[in-house]
Amino acid sequence: MKTILKAKLPELLEQLAKEYKVLVPAKLEGVSRFAAYRENLELALEENVTMPPKDIFFPQTEEMYKFKSKDQSLEIEEIPQDEKLQVIFGVRSCDMKSIDCLDQVFLTKGFVDPFYQDKRDKSILIALSCVKPMESCFCTSMGIDPQKGQGADIQAYDLGEKLGFEGITERGQEVLSKVSGMFAEEDAAIPSIGEFNLTADVEGLPEKLKDMFDHPIWDDISRKCLNCSTCAYVCPTCHCFDIASEVRGEDGTKIRCWDCCMVDEYTVMAGGHQPRPGKKERVRNRFLHKLRYFPERYNMLLCTGCGRCVVKCPVNLDITNVIKKLQEA
Amino acid sequence: MAITVEDVKKINPLVPIKAKVTKIVQETPDVRTFHISTMDDQKPFDPMPGQLGMLSLPLVGEGMFSITNKGENHIEMALKEVGQLTKALHEIEVGQEVGIRGPYGNGFPIDYCKGKDLLIIGGGIGLAPVRSLIMHCIKNRDDFGKLTVVYGARSKSDLCFQEDLFENWTKVPNMDVFVTIDRAEEGWDGHVGFVPAYVEELAPKPQVTVLCGPPIMIKFTLPSLQKMNFSDQDIITTLEMRMKCGIGKCGRCNIGSCYVCLDGPVFTMEQLKDLPPEY
Repeated sequence: MKTILKAKLPELLEQLAKEYKVLVPAKLEGVSRFAAYRENLELALEENVTMPPKDIFFPQTEEMYKFKSKDQSLEIEEIPQDEKLQVIFGVRSCDMKSIDCLDQVFLTKGFVDPFYQDKRDKSILIALSCVKPMESCFCTSMGIDPQKGQGADIQAYDLGEKLGFEGITERGQEVLSKVSGMFAEEDAAIPSIGEFNLTADVEGLPEKLKDMFDHPIWDDISRKCLNCSTCAYVCPTCHCFDIASEVRGEDGTKIRCWDCCMVDEYTVMAGGHQPRPGKKERVRNRFLHKLRYFPERYNMLLCTGCGRCVVKCPVNLDITNVIKKLQEA
Repeated sequence: MAITVEDVKKINPLVPIKAKVTKIVQETPDVRTFHISTMDDQKPFDPMPGQLGMLSLPLVGEGMFSITNKGENHIEMALKEVGQLTKALHEIEVGQEVGIRGPYGNGFPIDYCKGKDLLIIGGGIGLAPVRSLIMHCIKNRDDFGKLTVVYGARSKSDLCFQEDLFENWTKVPNMDVFVTIDRAEEGWDGHVGFVPAYVEELAPKPQVTVLCGPPIMIKFTLPSLQKMNFSDQDIITTLEMRMKCGIGKCGRCNIGSCYVCLDGPVFTMEQLKDLPPEY
């Protein structure tokens, strides 16, 4: 395995940044998230970042095209995409799995989403193993190996004082070859992962939920929800979006931005018909999407056990607890 | 060359192409049909009956509408004025440049309907999506059996496509058109009453029924059809949900694990029974 002292990591990232756009977990204004590497950036490698990496491929707000309309005329202009390859360092296993979920949505089932595909194609992913689960982590319950990131180009390991690197794909090998002089070659044992505080039993749950749409448990589960959408905002897999326009006079930009099934405007139709009128219907939709609909459509759960919603929900609507209630109902 | 579904998958399916409105027909006080062609007078794309298109007036917004018919060089969309966008669209004039993208959705199961007697039931603006199927059957008359259309609206002035109902379609061989309005009014000597009761009264014997209209009409018509012993796969309807992307990504039009924009808007009763009743 290729190893390097953690203290040398900024030097390594510096070197890579000469060739690629490099994104790293960093603390910015008190929030940890992926950010473009620059000198003196405060890296956040102790635990997983608060904001998931989804915005790298699916920005919170993204310009789609520009237009100009005056009287009867209309011009539509596409926006050129950035061509540079980007290396994303430090993606934890739960978030690697979430990228697989997003790939299913944006790249399969007949249509490819070109905005997503473009950013995804030029991304080289360096997964980073976890040593100690956070209080809110339950990835192993979702069938995820916290020490092996699915779909990684390079797997990095937290070895304590050092970091280990293993090239997996050709693109990953190539990135490592650019900085090969900085590594030592040695056999290193990967530290075992600690105990998990949270667990969830999802065995047979998608099938069980087929008959639970009208179950009274949804009144109970949804009662304390505020429909605030924080869960979806921090969720690495929540991917719903709105398409809207920003208009100034005759000029405008079509944008898309994150949206959430917790809000009224999400499904209300012109004329006022609302198929999901209350919080029971909305909360039910969100959990059924994660635990039944997505597995039916893409054969995988839409939850990776990252625990962000567990931490951030203002009323502690804990998905592991929801899963428990559904299994016991 | 018209753009096909396969082409749409190659270009960016979320960015509209520029097109123009070449004709506007006032169908009822609040429904207008818009004929749309590309800037070089071609069909913007080649939709199958029942498919959808996203029409935009970019300064106002974009909305998903069923495509009611296609011609050699244009597609048609009939829009009822209900919200901001449709209000703005009702104010445009011929020559207006618009954005259009599509086609989206599955469309009607044309091959399954071939050779069969069809009953097509519409209510109000619900005739718009099924009109594409009716026009297809008329253009390919020999491919289908007897065609029966039952259509109802609140009043005479709310009947869409009156030229079709009372002129064009009455001349088509092996086709019957029955029109009803909710309440009697002066100058109307046709049938009066609601669609579900009229269907029961007419007791047609088709092999496949396609119905489209307001949820209340569908709700009350289904029992009538079930009394007529249709199998669930021979009852076909279309669903509506709010849509944004049209390609099954943005999430909001889901009913269970189906996306109406991609897996619909056409569903059989057999499929609906497997979906949560959340529409």
